[in-house]
Amino acid sequence: MTRARFVAVGLCAAASLLAGCASEVRREPVELAVAAGEQGRRVANDGDVEAIPESRYARRIASGTEFVVVGRIAQGLVLKPTQTVLTVEGAHMHEAYAVHRDGQLVGFYLPVERAFTPLVKPAPMPLQERKTP
Amino acid sequence: MKPITRRLAVVACAALLTACASGPKHAEVQASIPALKATEGRLYIYRSSSMLGAAIQPNVVVNGKVAGESKPGGFFFVDLAPGTVEVSTSTEVEKKLTLTLEAGQTRYVRTTVGFGLMVGRVYPELVDSAVGAKEIAETSYIGKPLAKP
Repeated sequence: MTRARFVAVGLCAAASLLAGCASEVRREPVELAVAAGEQGRRVANDGDVEAIPESRYARRIASGTEFVVVGRIAQGLVLKPTQTVLTVEGAHMHEAYAVHRDGQLVGFYLPVERAFTPLVKPAPMPLQERKTP
Repeated sequence: MKPITRRLAVVACAALLTACASGPKHAEVQASIPALKATEGRLYIYRSSSMLGAAIQPNVVVNGKVAGESKPGGFFFVDLAPGTVEVSTSTEVEKKLTLTLEAGQTRYVRTTVGFGLMVGRVYPELVDSAVGAKEIAETSYIGKPLAKP
């Protein structure tokens, strides 16, 4: 490969990386239903949670983060943080709520888009009950 | 330093300084900020006073309308009907943030400069209220004129 071609290929690769590094967050439209018997329940995660959505921008949920149950979707229980904010990032940023099933964080519910975005791999997320104010 | 180099340095410093927000400090206008109506939510939009990408000052568009500018060390606020909100900034690419806003709720959106292909990009991001309230105290007001208390 000539030096000029090598430089051109390098520039193209850098341009592609800079221009296209963030893809849209993949979204599955979902219906948020009332979580019978659980709506308004307050819980907190027991231990830090490292979540990697498909967009690859990792999110960490600190131990003791409090959530309130705001409903249920097909993928699990939807937990809205009460004192902090969660976001999912791809080409753009979206406010997000945690989706919890069988002791694990399985993805995020995007309240504006009314959609679910999954994690690459579910992350353990044990919950503790909190007193409802 | 050679005269030409000195002149260039002065011009560069002047350009950087004029790029920063020059309004009154948050503490000076705090008392003049009107109370939030019970039927609306409030969005504070700000940018820390970093010199990184200081010359990049795009408009901040909230729900399709220009609400202000992203200036280093500046903040403004928008009161909105409760519901969904889209905040966007455009440089070489458009960056959007979507969030919900409830009546009586105050939320904080920080705009941050990141690297782009040709110029820097400005990202709107939703931050914790505690973080936003703390960081905004270091900024200056660049919104619409406020009535004196």
